[in-house]
Amino acid sequence: MSPRTQAHQSPAPLRLEGLSRREFLEAAGFTLSIAAITGCGRAPVVTALPFAEQPEGVVPGRTLTYASTCPGCAAGCGLLVGVRDGRPLKMEGMPEHPLSRGGLCAVGQALPLGLYDSQRLAEPQQGGQAANWRQVDAQITKRLADIANSGQAVRLVTPTVTSPSLQAAIDRFLARFKDARHVLFDPVSSSAILDAHAKTHAARILPHYRFDAARLIVSFGADFLGTWISPVEFTAAWQTHRAPTEAQPTMSRHVQFEGRLSLTGAKADQRYRLAPDEYGLVLSHLLAKLATRAGESEPQADLAESPIAAAVLDQLAEELWNARGASLVVCDSQEVATQVLVNALNHRLGNYGQTLDLARPSRQRQGDDANVLALVEELRGGKIGALLVAGVDLTHNLPGREALARAIGNLPLSISFAERLDDFASLAQFVCPDHHPLESWSDAEPVQGLVSLSQPTLQPLGHTRSLLESLSRWSGRQEHAYDIVRATWRERVLPRSESTDFRPFWDQAVHDGFVQLDAGPAPTVSEFRGDAVELTTGRPVDQDLVLILYSKVGLTDSRHAHNPWLQELPDPITKVTWDNYVCVSPRLAGELGLTDGDLVRVDSGDPATGLELPVLVQPGQHDRVVAIALGYGVRGTDRFANIGPSWLEARPTLAPGELVGKNAAGLIALRDGGLHYVRGAIQLTETGARHELASTQLHHSLHIPANVAPHGAEVRDVVQQTTLAAYVRNPQAGAPESHHFSATQLWPEDHTPSGHHWGLVIDLNKCTGCSACVIACQSENNVPVVGKDEVRRQREMHWIRLDRYYSGDGDDVDVLQQPMLCQHCDNAPCETVCPVLATVHSPEGLNEQAYNRCVGTRYCANNCPYKVRRFNWFKYQRDDARQNLALNPDVTVRTRGVMEKCSLCVQRIEAGKIAARQRGEPIADGAILTACQQSCPAQAIVFGDRNDPDSRVSQALADPRRYRVLEEFNFRPAVAYSRVVRNRDKAPPPAGGGAPSTGGAAHG
Amino acid sequence: MADPNSSPRPPLVTGDKTIADVTRDICAPLERGPTGLWWGALAVSCSALLLGVVAVGYQIAVGVGTWGLNKTVGWAFDITNFVFWVGIGHAGTLISAVLFLFRQKWRTAVNRSAEAMTLFAVVCAGIFPLIHMGRPWLAFWTLPYPNTRGSLWVNFKSPLLWDVFAISTYLLISAVFWYVGLIPDLATIRDRSGPGWRRRICSVLSLGWNGSARTWHRYETVYMLLAGLATPLVFSVHTIVSMDFATSVIPGWHTTIFPPYFVAGAIFSGLAMVLTLMIVARKVMRLEDYITHSHVDQMCKLMLSMGCIVGLAYGTEFFTAFYSGNGYEQFVFKNRALGPFCWAYWTMVTCNVVIPQLLWFRSVRASLPCVFALAIVVNIGMWFERFVIIVTSLHRDFLPSSWADYAPTSIEIATLLGSFGLFFSCFLIFCRFAPVIAMAEIKGAAHLGKPAAGRREAHRQEHAA
Repeated sequence: MSPRTQAHQSPAPLRLEGLSRREFLEAAGFTLSIAAITGCGRAPVVTALPFAEQPEGVVPGRTLTYASTCPGCAAGCGLLVGVRDGRPLKMEGMPEHPLSRGGLCAVGQALPLGLYDSQRLAEPQQGGQAANWRQVDAQITKRLADIANSGQAVRLVTPTVTSPSLQAAIDRFLARFKDARHVLFDPVSSSAILDAHAKTHAARILPHYRFDAARLIVSFGADFLGTWISPVEFTAAWQTHRAPTEAQPTMSRHVQFEGRLSLTGAKADQRYRLAPDEYGLVLSHLLAKLATRAGESEPQADLAESPIAAAVLDQLAEELWNARGASLVVCDSQEVATQVLVNALNHRLGNYGQTLDLARPSRQRQGDDANVLALVEELRGGKIGALLVAGVDLTHNLPGREALARAIGNLPLSISFAERLDDFASLAQFVCPDHHPLESWSDAEPVQGLVSLSQPTLQPLGHTRSLLESLSRWSGRQEHAYDIVRATWRERVLPRSESTDFRPFWDQAVHDGFVQLDAGPAPTVSEFRGDAVELTTGRPVDQDLVLILYSKVGLTDSRHAHNPWLQELPDPITKVTWDNYVCVSPRLAGELGLTDGDLVRVDSGDPATGLELPVLVQPGQHDRVVAIALGYGVRGTDRFANIGPSWLEARPTLAPGELVGKNAAGLIALRDGGLHYVRGAIQLTETGARHELASTQLHHSLHIPANVAPHGAEVRDVVQQTTLAAYVRNPQAGAPESHHFSATQLWPEDHTPSGHHWGLVIDLNKCTGCSACVIACQSENNVPVVGKDEVRRQREMHWIRLDRYYSGDGDDVDVLQQPMLCQHCDNAPCETVCPVLATVHSPEGLNEQAYNRCVGTRYCANNCPYKVRRFNWFKYQRDDARQNLALNPDVTVRTRGVMEKCSLCVQRIEAGKIAARQRGEPIADGAILTACQQSCPAQAIVFGDRNDPDSRVSQALADPRRYRVLEEFNFRPAVAYSRVVRNRDKAPPPAGGGAPSTGGAAHG
Repeated sequence: MADPNSSPRPPLVTGDKTIADVTRDICAPLERGPTGLWWGALAVSCSALLLGVVAVGYQIAVGVGTWGLNKTVGWAFDITNFVFWVGIGHAGTLISAVLFLFRQKWRTAVNRSAEAMTLFAVVCAGIFPLIHMGRPWLAFWTLPYPNTRGSLWVNFKSPLLWDVFAISTYLLISAVFWYVGLIPDLATIRDRSGPGWRRRICSVLSLGWNGSARTWHRYETVYMLLAGLATPLVFSVHTIVSMDFATSVIPGWHTTIFPPYFVAGAIFSGLAMVLTLMIVARKVMRLEDYITHSHVDQMCKLMLSMGCIVGLAYGTEFFTAFYSGNGYEQFVFKNRALGPFCWAYWTMVTCNVVIPQLLWFRSVRASLPCVFALAIVVNIGMWFERFVIIVTSLHRDFLPSSWADYAPTSIEIATLLGSFGLFFSCFLIFCRFAPVIAMAEIKGAAHLGKPAAGRREAHRQEHAA
C-alpha cells in the first residue's frame, strides 16, 4: 500500500498498552511536528507581485516628491507631497514658493489623514442611497435641462475660487442657464474689506498685504499670524523683521488692538484690549490725529472719547506718521464703514503701493456676503430651481439652519459635491463626491500673477469624481480634469507668460508647482475716494457683552473637523482640545461667578440661536467680550465618541449623540448685506451644569502660585524675554542674573561627538505658536491620537508641544510660547536611570530611544526635567486599515508599554547621511531638516551640525539671545532657544513680574 | 553579659512555664483544628488577594493606563506600595539579625513571626516593580544574564538595577535565615506528629535534625553567620531603594539625606507592622505568656525612637531646602506642605511624628488597644510618606507647563488591597503551619524552670505557707 492511500484510511485507534517504544516516538514526533507547523502559520499568504515593467524613477521605499498647492484653504501655499510606494504620506512646505516660503500650517500638514479617512464617500448618493454615476448623471442632466428650459434660477455656491480652471468650468456650466449665479460664500468671510475697496477704490478687490515691507504693523483684531486670510504667508513675511542681531539690532513694531486674545495679539509688541464695536471710533481718532499731523485743517468731526488713552493714540499716530509708506493697518471687522476707515488710514499713510498691493491683488478671499444674503432670501422665497454646493457646508455655516433646511427640501434640484455626508449633503438630493484634492488635478491663483498647479498623487481611493469633471459632464462635455486644467493653462495662463511653447511651459510648471507671470491684467483701480470715508463718532451706548465668533488656529472652518489630528491639536492660546467653549475675561467670570468648565447658555435675543457651552476664563480678553470658535458641532463628528482606548474607567470623548463642540454659526448676524461675526446684546446664563474641558496644560503662568512660592524664586525663567531698547544696550539683556554656574564637568569627556554633533535652535521671537510643527511631527513620526478622556488625564502623546505661559498678572498679560521637545541633553538624566539601556546617547549627540528594548519602567520620564517623554499607556494603534495608510513606514509604530519621544527625526538624519554618502559629498548644511523645522512658517527652527563652525545652527548658538532651558543644572541640552525681544519701551516684567504689561487705561 | 536571674528586667516568659509547656503552647495552634475566626480571616484576605489578582490581570491585559498615572506623574501607587512593603520587610531582619548580634533576648518571642512577615512583605513588594512595567513579560531583561545581543546588557548605572539585586538578595537571605531558624522547631513538630503528611513534610524540611550537640553546634554557627550576613542588608536594601529617588534630578527626590531617612522609616514601619500582627496573634493564639507586655513595651520604645528620627528627617529636609537657596528645592517643600497634596503631607506628619509621641507615656505603652491603634496609624502614615515623596515631587517639577494632578483609579486601589490580601493570606497560612515563636530559641533564652530571683523568693514563701 502506498503511503498516499494509507493516509486516506481512517487511522486505527491508538492503543497505549501495546505501544512499542518506536511507535510511541513516531506518534510523539508526528504530534510535535504538526504542533510546530500549525504554530508557525501566523499570517495568511499574500502574494506581492512586482511591477511587470518597473515605472521609471519608482524605487520601492524611496520617497518621490511632487510639487502641488495646498488645498487646505484658499491661501494657496506651496506644497511638496512626499509619495512613498504610491501613497502620499507627508506634506511639506515648498521653500521656493514666493508666498509661503517653505512654511505649511497645521491644516496642510494634516491632509493625509483626511485623504485616508474611511468615512469619505466612495460613490455618489441619490436620496441618501448609494447610486452609480451613470444613473446620477442621467437624472441630473435631465433635470438641469428642464430647469434650463423653464428658466428657473440656478445657484452654484462655492467658497473663494482661486482656480482659473474651476472658475472657467463654472462659468461654462452656468452659461446655459438664463438666471444663473455663482455665489461665493466664505464660511469665515472678509467680504467687508472687498466692499470697502469697492467704495474707496471702485474695485471690489482684496489688497495683497506685504507684511515684509512693513516696519510698523497695526492690527485691529486681524489674527494674521493665526487664521486671517493667509496666515502662513503673512507669518513668513512678518518674521523677516523679527530677529534682531548684534550687527543689526532692529525689528519691526507690531501693535495689536483686539477684543479676544488671538495668536497674533499674543505675539504683538504692544497689545491693547479693545472691544470690536469700538474699532471704528479708535480708527477715527487715529485718522483725525494723522490729519492734524499732516497739517490739514479741515473741520474735525466731534468724536466721542476714545476708549484707548489719548496719549497712547498720540504716540501711535506719531509712529505711524514716521513710518509713512512702511506701515500697515489691518482689521478683521466685517463692518464696511470700519474697513473704509482702515483704507483711509492706509491711504493717508501712503501705504498703498508699498505695503498693500492693489496692482496684483490677492484672490485669497472673494466671498461676497451680499450675494449670500440674497441667496438665503431666494431660498426662503422658494425662487430657486437648482442649488449646487461645492467645497463648503452651506447649512452648517449659516444661521437659521432649520428654515434653510426646509427650503432646501423643497428645491426641484439640490446637489452637493461634499467629500463626506456633511450637513448640506444630508439634505441634498444628490451627492456627487469630489476627489480629495490630493487625488485630482487643479490649479490656483492665490495672488494675481502667481499661478500654481495641484497634481494627483494617487489613484482615487473611491468612485469619486472631480468637480471639474462633473461640471464638464453636465455641460455636455466629457473632459478629464487633466485636460480641463491643461486647456485652461494653454488658453489663459500661457498667453500671460513670456513662453510661447506650451509643452515645456507646462512641464516646467508641473515640476515647479507654480509659475510667476510678469504681466497680468491689473485691475482698474480708481484714485482714493475720500468722500466714502465717514468717521465713526459715537461710542456704543449700551455697554453689554459683545460676542466674537472666531476660527481656531489649526482647525479653521468646519471642513477639517473630521481630522482627529486637528481636533487633538491644543489651541495655542487656551491649550484646550476636542471642544469649543465660551472665552470670558477673568473679571467677567468673577462678576458672573463662573469658572472653567461651567456650562453657560449664550443668548442673543433670538431663542432659536441659544447655545450651551462650557466657559473658559481667558486672561487678556476684553471684559465686555465673549468669544466662541466656529467650525465645531460638525455633522458626523460623533464618530469620535470612542476614539480613545477603551477600558474600565474610560469616559467616552462624547456623550451619545453628541458632536465635537457646538456649532456657533447660529449666532452669526446677517445684516447690512454682510455676515457679521461680532454681535452685541449677548446674555450669559449659568445653567448649573458642568462640562470638563480637556486641556493639555493645567498651570498657565511662569509664576509659582503665591501660597507655595519661595521667596526670591516666584518666577521660573524658562522663557526669557527683554525689550528691544534693553537689547540694544546689552544683547544679553533678559538673561537671569542668578545663574553663575561653572561649565566644568565633574568627569572628563569620555565620548565627545567627533563626527556630527546635532543641535537645534528655536528663535522664540519668531515662533508664533501656530502649532504647525506639532502636526508635522505627528505626521512624520506616527504619533497617535488618544482622545479627549486621555488628554483630560494628561496623557497626550505629542512629541513637540507648545508651552504657553502668561506673564504679568493684571488684566493685560504677555503671552510667551515655547516649543518644547526632547532636549537631547549631553548629560541626559533619562539615560542613566534606564535599567535596560533602552535610552542611550548616540555618537552624534542624539538621545536615542530603543523601543524594542524598553520595558516601560517610566523612570526616564520621571527623571526628565523637561517632561517631554511620552508613554504608551495603552495600545493606541487602530485597526482602520485605510487610516493606517497615513503611517510613515520609516518610523516604528510603538507598542503598548514603551516610552517614546522626539528623535530629532533620526530617520531624516539617516536619509540625509545616506544621500550624501551616495553622492560622495559631506552633508551640506541645511540638507537635513527635521519635520518641525521644515514646516515652520516663521522659520524659527534651525537644525544642524554643531561641530561645523559655519553651520547655521552654530551661528545661531553664538547669538547673544541664545539660552538653554534649565541651563544651570548642566544637563547640556542640544536644543537651545533665542530670547523673546519685544519692541517696546517699557520693560516686560522680568519673566513676568507684577506690573501690567501694557499702558494704563487700555480698555473700556 | 548580665545574669538574667539578677536582671531587673521582667521575665521573657511569664506563667511559670516548663520546657514542655512551651512546646505544648506553641505547637497547640498547629495541632488544633483551624478555628472559625481563622477561616473567616483567611476568607477575607483571600478575597482581597483575589481582587488584587483580577486587578493586576486586567492591568497587564489592558495596559498601565488603567492606573491614574500621566505624562508628569509616572509613578504613584505602584512605587509607593513597593517602598511601603519593602519598609515593612525591614523589621524582620532587624529583629532577627541585628538584635541577635546584640544579644537582645527579648527578640526570641517575636523574631519568627517578624521574619515571616519580612518574607511576605518582600514578596508583596517585589510584585510592584514587576507589574509597574509597561511590558512586565520582559522583566527578565533587567537581569544580567548571558544573551545573544552582543554588547547590550543591563545598565549598571541605573538604581533600578541595584534595586533588582538588593531586593532579590534580601529575599533570598531572609528566606534562608527564616528557614534555618525553623529547622529545630520543624524537628520538634516532626517528633510530636503522628504518622501522616505533617510528619512526612517536617521530616524532609528538618533535614534530619537529631538534637545532638553537634547538630546544635552547626546550627548555632550557621545562624550566627547568617545573622552577620543579613545585618548589612537591613541598611543596604532601603538605602538602595532610596537611591531610586536620591540619584535622580527631580527636586524633592534629589537629596543626600534619603538613605538614613529611608532606613529609619523602614524600621519604623516594620516595627509598627510587627506590633499590629503580634498584638492580634498573641490574643488569638493564646500566646500572652510568650509575647508579654514587656515585649510590646520594648517594641514601642524602639518605634518611638525611630519615629523621632523620621521626624528629624522631615525637619532636616525643610532646613536643607531653606538653606540651599535653591528655588526649585524650596518650592517642592513649600508645595508639599501647602500645595494640592498638603492633606497627604499633613496626614503623614500627624501619623508619623505627632501621634507616636504618645508612646512617651508608660500608660499608653501598657494599653494594648492604644498600641494597636498607634501601630495602625504609623502604618498609614508611612504609606503616605512614600506617597508624598513620590507624587508631590513629581506632580510639580521644573516646567510649570507640565504640572499635573494625580488621582488613583479603582484598579490601583484594588491592587493595593490585593497586596494586603496576599500578605495576610500568607501570614495566616504561616500561623497554621509553622510555629509562630521560635521554640528552640525561647527555651534557650528564657531560663525556663529556673524562676527568677525575685520570684524565687515568692515561690519559697509560697512553699513555706
